[in-house]
Amino acid sequence: MQFEVIAKCKTTKARVSRMTLSHGVTMLPTFMPVATQAAIKGLTPEQVESLGVTLILNNTYHLNLRPGLKVLNEVGGAHKFQGWERNLLTDSGGFQLVSLSKFTTITEEGALFASPFTGEPTMLTPEESISIQHAIGADIIMQLDDVVSSLTTGPRVEEAMERSVRWLDRCTAHHEQSGKKDRQNLFAIVQGGLDPGLRDRCLDAMIQRKNDVAGYAIGGLSGGEEKDTFWRIIKQCADKLPEDRPRYSMGIGFAEDLLVCVALGVDMADCVFPTRTARFGVALTHSGPLNLKLNKHARDFDPIDKNCPCPTCSGKTSRAILHHTTTHETSAAHAITLHNITFQAQVMGRARAAIIAGTFPEYLRKFFSDYFGDAGYPEWCVNALRSVGVDLLEGKDLKLIPGSGAKWEYSDAS
Amino acid sequence: MSGHSPIPGLFFSLLTPSATRFGPRLGNVLLKRDEQTEIQIQTPSYLASTSRGVIPHLSRDHYASSGIRWVNIPFESFLDVLPPVPTLVDGKNSLHTFLGYSLGQHVVSMAVRDPADGREMPPNGNAHVAAYSLRGVRKVTPTEWKSYVYSCKPDIVFALADIPLTHPPYSQKRLTKSIERSASWLASLISPLPNNKYRPSVLVHMAGTTSVPARRAFAESLIEKLFGPEAETIKPLQTLDQGVTGYTFDLIPIRLSLEAAEKRHQDPFYPPAESIPPTPPPTIDSAPTPLSEVNLDPTIPAHTDQLSPLLQASLEPLSTTKLRLVNSVQTPHEILRLISSVGIDIFDAHWAQRAGDVGVALDFTFPAPSSHSPALKARENNKLDIGHNLYCSSYTHDFSAFGSASCGCRACSPVAPATRIYHGVDDPSFSGESSTIPSQAPAEPRVKPSFSRAYAHHLLHTHEMSAHSLLVLHNLSVLDQFFGGIRTLLQDRPEKWDQEVKRFEEIYDEELKVFEEARVMWRDVDLARGKGRLVREKAKQEEGTLGTAVEL
Repeated sequence: MQFEVIAKCKTTKARVSRMTLSHGVTMLPTFMPVATQAAIKGLTPEQVESLGVTLILNNTYHLNLRPGLKVLNEVGGAHKFQGWERNLLTDSGGFQLVSLSKFTTITEEGALFASPFTGEPTMLTPEESISIQHAIGADIIMQLDDVVSSLTTGPRVEEAMERSVRWLDRCTAHHEQSGKKDRQNLFAIVQGGLDPGLRDRCLDAMIQRKNDVAGYAIGGLSGGEEKDTFWRIIKQCADKLPEDRPRYSMGIGFAEDLLVCVALGVDMADCVFPTRTARFGVALTHSGPLNLKLNKHARDFDPIDKNCPCPTCSGKTSRAILHHTTTHETSAAHAITLHNITFQAQVMGRARAAIIAGTFPEYLRKFFSDYFGDAGYPEWCVNALRSVGVDLLEGKDLKLIPGSGAKWEYSDAS
Repeated sequence: MSGHSPIPGLFFSLLTPSATRFGPRLGNVLLKRDEQTEIQIQTPSYLASTSRGVIPHLSRDHYASSGIRWVNIPFESFLDVLPPVPTLVDGKNSLHTFLGYSLGQHVVSMAVRDPADGREMPPNGNAHVAAYSLRGVRKVTPTEWKSYVYSCKPDIVFALADIPLTHPPYSQKRLTKSIERSASWLASLISPLPNNKYRPSVLVHMAGTTSVPARRAFAESLIEKLFGPEAETIKPLQTLDQGVTGYTFDLIPIRLSLEAAEKRHQDPFYPPAESIPPTPPPTIDSAPTPLSEVNLDPTIPAHTDQLSPLLQASLEPLSTTKLRLVNSVQTPHEILRLISSVGIDIFDAHWAQRAGDVGVALDFTFPAPSSHSPALKARENNKLDIGHNLYCSSYTHDFSAFGSASCGCRACSPVAPATRIYHGVDDPSFSGESSTIPSQAPAEPRVKPSFSRAYAHHLLHTHEMSAHSLLVLHNLSVLDQFFGGIRTLLQDRPEKWDQEVKRFEEIYDEELKVFEEARVMWRDVDLARGKGRLVREKAKQEEGTLGTAVEL
């Protein structure tokens, strides 16, 4: 991997970098759409590429179950299997073991879980996770970490953090021997729950191992914790992580979360939110989400966003036809998914452009103003951005919304 | 009536006048939209079916790359809230604009009902058709239909027809009503609206269900010169036939009626026996299939051989030069037979699109290949499947393209995008990557390796929508090539036609066992999305651990 920071924001910690992998260049910060089962829901890889997406995510846990390693080995990896010619990232499968299986027991050896096929006890070790990811062949692979819910408290959090460090060593050792290091890049995952002390210890241990890892992910978040805690942990990690490694915040997808993370120094993020919400008829726009199921859109012949370059909007697909077809026809999901992926890319692309131009604080203020309007800003965003020198409320008299403050279009809002 | 159409815009012409009234024929549908734009469809050919106005599973950006030239819009899905939304769209081509079809590529037709929907419906009235919308049954009057047509301005419209979809059989009185209403509703549609430049091209559904005399009577009523108030209505036309571009046949109501007749041929209410074509000796095992209870998309027994005499009875009195269209055909075999025995020009593609829904990749050609393709499964009757049930575990490791023959569809020949969207600081000046296409050179599309059966198999079992997009693109392309093969043979070696049809019937299985099997597996995956799904899949896999077991 070549990783090069090409511009930094003078106010915030935001930066623009160029990340060169085996399947081309990805400009950071970027958002990665999720193709859990080796397909972005409903789309072909050609469509995804035409949207300007250069990096997507596959899930190791799912691909290991189906199509299975034998198929992936025969075909020569997940790129060829799904016809994706750009960059690919796989997670380690650890998160799904915990989120999808009730019976997972973590031992020092690995994660012991009930096979979803036979119910038999099956072990996923750090070495095996890396081997599976080698077979998938993604450009970026993740260490197996000991995942605990971000709401867990007590000694288990510390144990998980320390084990994640030990498992990182096993992952790097296994990756080192594999001979795949030139094409696949291993990222470490910083754990430590919501405890700044544990996070600090984890950061220290993992930064010591910097020469063995190509980048760092911030894990163990986006699990229902308070947003106020969330941003503080992100900031703590981003501040400490080395300049010359990409930083990946896992499971982040709301536009306001993305921009706060970018301002705190994050380079990459992934989330199923934009593609999942599309299937329920929600289109993301720079002035907030549109719930196309609502009757107020039934006779609206405007596209989702007149200025959007996506095929759905530039092809003048109206809100009315999307209202008519959404949740009934898969093509409505395709159309809104094409749009939402483009929206995420636009949010990040404009961030890159603003950082280069030295206008990132202005971009943040404009984005929040357009997106939230007079409804008020999430308090945590205001606080997080103040911590890096941007005051969203400058010259404004707006109320602050406690909690997540995420914006949604409800039926009574019409 | 002969030679030139009274309706400017859409013209049908026969290229090779067929030797007989009902033989196979080559034709051309020409839509001249304006000075610059025209669309030609060589016939025999197909039209794509739509659901809620869209071609199921295709994105709009796929419309252009697919070979689709004609889409039919059942209008009933827009009737849940009145006035129907498409009637509110401004402009000259509101249906194209609203639904995203291309003025230069797509002929758009509009029908009130979905011809693939054979569900029992409340009876039609003297002045309305019962149509189905998400919010229940809606009555559509001829006046309303005409106003919808004039607002939406489709290229072609199916006249409102009284097609009984109540429980068959139908009394003679019911059939008489059906004929009279259909004729009168047609008259109301073709009567010109003053001060309106738009003139719809009208197709008329041939009424009479399974009664030969009733079908003949309806056809004759089209060419009768009208008198009195009726003549006033359609002035300056003299007969109804002068106002129509072609004749259409919905097969589902006919099949339902034939099926009912077969089940209760003793019933005294049934129409007189001599009016029903005799049932030919069954060539297909019609024993009830145990799969029927899980069949969410029931196939009505085809009764193909009984159809031809009925269709012929309708066409017998009429001019041979007008377009003939059939909806709800079920197999390629049936298409060939209806071309042979009736001379049909356009068929709907619903069955082939539906195959993509249930995981079948079509794989057949006309003329049939001279050597047996080993890639296709042969049945007990020694005939080949017309496609692959990609749910089947035998495709888990099959990395070949969907079809055996080369195919230009976006699934078999995906094309790398020539351009991409840039979002900021990601263009070549920042990324250092050269743009895909040098700016001066003419865009030479780069064809990528085909998607594989194994990939589609994976997507089907993981319930991914992309599977159906790829399969529908492929199946429509196979159908397009099938019709291409038909036209080439009719053009170059018409004397071989009967022989090739026979050979096709001998080589390919018409029972479509592969569809039945696919439907069962489709349903299993569709219904089993929650817990235990993988366990059930495992149990069904005869080969045990191949490819899908946990290999941790």
